[in-house]
Amino acid sequence: MLSYKQNPDPSGLHSRRCMNRKKDKGFEICINNINFQRKSVIGYVELTIFPTVMNLNRIKLNSKQCRIYRVRVNDLEAPFIYNDPTLEVCHHESKQRNLNYFSSAYTAAVSAVDPDAGNGELSIKVPSELWKQGDEMKVMKVYIEFSLDQPKGGLHFVVPDVDGSMAERAAHVFSFGNQNSTRFWFPCVDSYSELCTWKLEFTVDASMVAVSCGDLVETVYTHDMRKKTFHYMLPIPTAAPNISLAVGPFEILVDPYMHEVTHFCLPQLLPLLKQTMSYLHEIFEFYEEILTCRYPYSCFKTVFVDEAYVQVSSYASMSIFSTNLLHSGMIIDQTPVTRRCLAQALAQQFFGCFISRMSWSDEWVLKGISGYIYGLYLKKTFGVNEYRHWIKEELDKIVEYELKMGGVLLHPTFSGGKEKDNPTPHLHFSIRHPHTLSWEYYKMFQCKAHLVMRLIENRISMEFMLQVFNKLLSLASTASSQKYQSHMWSQMLVSTSGFLKSISNVSGKDIGPLIKQWVDQSGVVKFFGSFAFNRKRNVLELEIRQDYTSSGTQKYVGPIKVTVQELDGSFNHTLQIEENSLKHDIPCHSKSRRNKKKKIPLMNGEEVDMDLSAMDADSPLLWIRIDPDMSILRKVEFEQADFMWQYQLRFERDVVAQEEAISALEIFPTPASRLALTDILEQDQCFYKVRIQACFCLAKIANSMMSTWTGPPAMKSLFTRMFCCKSCPNIVKTNNFINFQSYFLQKTMPVAMALLRDVQNLCPKEVLNFILDLIKYNDNRKNKFSDNYYRAELIDALTNSLTPAISINNEVRTVDNLNTDVRLILEEITRFLNMEKLLPSYRNTITVSCLRAIRMLQKNGHIPSDPSLFKSYAQYGHFVDVRIAALEAVIDYTRVDRSSSELQWLLDLVQNDPVHYIRHEILSMLAKNPPFTKAADSLLCNEALVDQLWKLMNSGTCHDWRLRCDAVNLYYTLFGLTRPSCLPLPELGLVLNLKEKKAVLNPTIKSEQGPGGPEYRPSSQPNFENRLTFPTQEEEDIDMDTVHDSQAFIYHHLNMLERPSTPDITLFQLFALIFTGKEPSSVEQAMLSMPGTPMPTLSKESTSSKHGDHHHHHHHHEHKKKKKKHKHKHKHKHKHESKDKDRDSHAFSNSPASGRSIRSPSLSD
Amino acid sequence: MLSRRLATPIPEKRSGSSKTSTSPTDNYQLARRRTLQVVVSSLLTECGFESAEKAAMETLTEMMQSYITEVGRCAKATCEHTARSTPTLSDVVITLVEMGFNVDTLPVYAKRSQRMVITAPPITNASVVPKALIAGQKRTHPTYIPSHFPEFPDPHTYIKTPTFREPVSDYQVVREKAASQRRDVERALTRFMAKTGETESLFKDDISAFPLIAAKPSAIPYLSALLPSELELQTLEETDSSEQDDQTDTENNSSNVSQDDQSADKENVVLPPGGVVPTGKANEENMIDNPYLRPVKKPKVRRKK
Repeated sequence: MLSYKQNPDPSGLHSRRCMNRKKDKGFEICINNINFQRKSVIGYVELTIFPTVMNLNRIKLNSKQCRIYRVRVNDLEAPFIYNDPTLEVCHHESKQRNLNYFSSAYTAAVSAVDPDAGNGELSIKVPSELWKQGDEMKVMKVYIEFSLDQPKGGLHFVVPDVDGSMAERAAHVFSFGNQNSTRFWFPCVDSYSELCTWKLEFTVDASMVAVSCGDLVETVYTHDMRKKTFHYMLPIPTAAPNISLAVGPFEILVDPYMHEVTHFCLPQLLPLLKQTMSYLHEIFEFYEEILTCRYPYSCFKTVFVDEAYVQVSSYASMSIFSTNLLHSGMIIDQTPVTRRCLAQALAQQFFGCFISRMSWSDEWVLKGISGYIYGLYLKKTFGVNEYRHWIKEELDKIVEYELKMGGVLLHPTFSGGKEKDNPTPHLHFSIRHPHTLSWEYYKMFQCKAHLVMRLIENRISMEFMLQVFNKLLSLASTASSQKYQSHMWSQMLVSTSGFLKSISNVSGKDIGPLIKQWVDQSGVVKFFGSFAFNRKRNVLELEIRQDYTSSGTQKYVGPIKVTVQELDGSFNHTLQIEENSLKHDIPCHSKSRRNKKKKIPLMNGEEVDMDLSAMDADSPLLWIRIDPDMSILRKVEFEQADFMWQYQLRFERDVVAQEEAISALEIFPTPASRLALTDILEQDQCFYKVRIQACFCLAKIANSMMSTWTGPPAMKSLFTRMFCCKSCPNIVKTNNFINFQSYFLQKTMPVAMALLRDVQNLCPKEVLNFILDLIKYNDNRKNKFSDNYYRAELIDALTNSLTPAISINNEVRTVDNLNTDVRLILEEITRFLNMEKLLPSYRNTITVSCLRAIRMLQKNGHIPSDPSLFKSYAQYGHFVDVRIAALEAVIDYTRVDRSSSELQWLLDLVQNDPVHYIRHEILSMLAKNPPFTKAADSLLCNEALVDQLWKLMNSGTCHDWRLRCDAVNLYYTLFGLTRPSCLPLPELGLVLNLKEKKAVLNPTIKSEQGPGGPEYRPSSQPNFENRLTFPTQEEEDIDMDTVHDSQAFIYHHLNMLERPSTPDITLFQLFALIFTGKEPSSVEQAMLSMPGTPMPTLSKESTSSKHGDHHHHHHHHEHKKKKKKHKHKHKHKHKHESKDKDRDSHAFSNSPASGRSIRSPSLSD
Repeated sequence: MLSRRLATPIPEKRSGSSKTSTSPTDNYQLARRRTLQVVVSSLLTECGFESAEKAAMETLTEMMQSYITEVGRCAKATCEHTARSTPTLSDVVITLVEMGFNVDTLPVYAKRSQRMVITAPPITNASVVPKALIAGQKRTHPTYIPSHFPEFPDPHTYIKTPTFREPVSDYQVVREKAASQRRDVERALTRFMAKTGETESLFKDDISAFPLIAAKPSAIPYLSALLPSELELQTLEETDSSEQDDQTDTENNSSNVSQDDQSADKENVVLPPGGVVPTGKANEENMIDNPYLRPVKKPKVRRKK
């Protein structure tokens, strides 16, 4: 018995469903067979539906890649139709290659199956016997039997290729997906807003454990005792996307502090699991305390799986993590990372799983709240410095992204649903659905969401904020215990308006402007600040300008805080940014006087002694900060004197201010800056991340001061003093990483030092030897922590020290002509890499660094550039970090060496690699480091590649939303929004226009109006052939011989007339002669065959427009539709204009018209 | 006269060859052989030969030597047969009888008149025992040891010899040495691995330069990447034992890593050591009610799967 029915009549599907909303109260899923060998799953689902409308005759469900055997509604067989438009986005569309077109088609396809709009891939016809029942609003039970065979998405099977039983092989399977992707593994209403209770049953091998959502009610053996069935109940209404499953031979750890929490990991990793989970209870306690609310589910499970899709994914009462987050107690660097991941997962349990969202445009509330409370956890656990540093980092990230890519819109509203109303026209994808979003954008979206939550907190105070959260949670938990019929469940869904209403109820404050600015509008604010001190008036004249015209920016109107540190203390001023006021006068409190004895009070009440000799004698100003609390999503470029930055760095206690000062000091390479940075470096009370940043800044300054630099290389004596032996300063102490701050500093300083350059732009010999000595004398025997990250960073330092080889006429790189320093470096790298095979380091950090170093050696021309080593490390079966590093190197190689075979190899991997994360990373790394871009020509850019990528996004990635968006992103990076320029000129220009129902010229033509358009590149030469043959195949009514003859004739003449001196007139007159009396279509043909190459003056544009015309004729012949004609007129008009411009510059006489004015309006003057 | 004629040429040659090998035992052997030759020559003269070919001489000498050797060997065997270590006259007599020699004729032969008297072979380097090195002064016996007891051995064999090089305690040198030792070991080991297994090379022209052990994918890559290596575990144990005092509970926990490996399911619920452990730990353990720890139920009869 085979599969689902393919829909024979697509039009039937698109007919409106009679039911707006169905409510499924109960959902039962039973998977009774999971076959690891075949990677298949068999099961059934049973939904209980409460129809809310009359005449329910069609039920739409979401289902992808499931093979559906039968559907029954209330025990009656029901016919069903399966149609998934996202499988292939553009149907029967072989030639269209334009991203605008794809994006709109893709959005339409996703909308067509959007459960929130009542759509779905699976359309079940309710048996007519039940229609009447539907009228009476009775319950319906829909029963679907399905199977999955080698699923490409939704469920991931990890089956290691070793001997033994599946349990011994650590084979496991788990569900995954981007946003609502549950439809990939069972038919459901795959929406975050459709809640129901769940009963889940999984029958698995007796050696396996099935972990799923809800409470494990019982585990029962099957009759043959070889399998057992796990029965789960989830009484809390939950949306289908929040359901997950993990099956494997997991080791079980009951949390020692909370017995209702259970942790699962793969065999042999239990010791790591114990270590990793030893602090989870603290996170629980923290959230429960601040939210004054118990964890909503009765149990919690964490599962650590291999080949995870993302590091952290949260589902109702369980979270699935990457197994690579596990660590032993010896690992320093991973510990905070893992803690953060756990905290994130737990925050999403409250907001995201328990409280779901009303619609996609409310997503920002969930992400915002979970991100915000996660931030509070960071503040409590890692300290205020770490928190403020993180906020600054996130703010910088979002600002950078928005300024580069255009705004991120948190709460998009789609009025009317027309494409024209696209709220984000600057993006190459639609933000209408989570599945059409670029992954990068979505990350930035989450980042912005929590920053905006923080802004709300600033506005209404944290107390109120937490009260709002508590209110949302308590309403939801009341609702969750009710029956469906009480219609309370919508309380468990958060919406933007509901959230804002709670805020205003709780706080009584109006945050409307704030929401309008940051939530309903995209973009960030870009401030430029400068000041002057008016001595007479004792007034600070501050000027704050804004850039709100460039992409990703918006105008800010409202209050802004400015903090001025004067001699007499620190003063906050709140200025009002208004429409036209740029200048603000701020009265100063202190006279510019020098009372040397007096201490200077700081913001935090501390009083310090300062050496005031550096400052301007006339001004009492020490430093000025604009928006110190980061209460605007902004970038500030503020101008103040170098000594002010130095004072700010030394004496301002806020880490954000210190970091700002450090980045500002980069452009002031003076001994005073050097001293300030060195002082910060030495001060162990200073936040370690600030000190780390100071290292890199010091390296930059040292390079700028190269000629005047005195003393040993920057940081060397400092490092020696801090980390080397007293008796023998060239030898580093044996490792003792008990003090984490100095550990991080010890790790970073060599990396920064390696960036130093001497007059020849080489890394100073002294520094290189110093680093080599650090490696040589590294001794970790007495250390209780692993030094793998430290050693990896020492290799990174070696990498940083590399400079381009002096290449003499491109000689081949051999061992013999290897530079002696490079030889030393290479020896270290070889040894490290080989040792790693014998004693692998945690997460193979050393291999990762070695691969990067080798690529750098290749890139700088020290060793032959060759991707084969990286390709072997990129194979499936290496640790994922190693694979990523190796792939990064291959991608870099592909770009530098323009290797089409490597590009092909990468794209094959994208299609075939078993690990989804790797596929995703390849595409996103390719987009970050593209082999070519739309701006530049490349031999790699050819038709085959365009076709391949197109196929990849059109149908090749239909099983993974994220991957498809990655492919779209890459396509955008490589070719832009319009038709790739390497394609043959747009024969199908018109087809596009007809389909899009727009009177717009093919975008290719537009794109080529840009500079450099008239150049006819040799690479497009072959297109000539295409153009010629195309009509002969399609149109039988053209006389082949005539075409060829005339073409040859023209070509001959063109060659003769190629000389620039030849007047164009002659040329065109010649055409006129030839074609007089010929059949119209062949005239066209002949014109087409006139390639641009021999005639440099003829712009490409004119050629392309001719093609457009040519098509015009085709369509006349083929379709003869009036509508199209209308469009064509438009098009011609457009061409006219562009032509005119062109004609002005090139002195084309009227001559071409003589031959073609009749049917070639584009060329007629 | 004759004997001189016979004897002289051979020793001369021997001495020529013996120049190359001058070890005392060799000399001793040569002297014995020379004596034998003289004996053979004199016997020949006795029998009335005036001259003999060199080859014949050698053969006869060889025979003579073999005979004497055989007598000695047999005599020793006979003697050892009777559990003695030194052969006596009777052993020799028995041997001679065994070898078919009429012993009774021996006294007569020995007292024959024309017997030539041969001078005893010169004792050349008979005592090959090398003289022991004398370092320092031998201790004299203390009064309570009778003087006939053996002397004390040389002092250097039983007392600490004072040396004048300081033991290497200089920190710098120790570190230097440890570093270079480790590096040498690592280099040798990796070179060995690279030589014996598959390699990858960074250079096309010289594959042996900077050999890299080939990267082999493993079926379960995360295990080796996440679990601490044996060396690290060992280090950890060492540091733990030496620095037991300043341990925090997290480290303590990881120090149990090796034991945890074999831990049974029941042990999973054991609380990590540290100050936070509630006192009623044992009770707690029994009370833990986690659905995943519950026994799997037997299928009910009515249940249809």
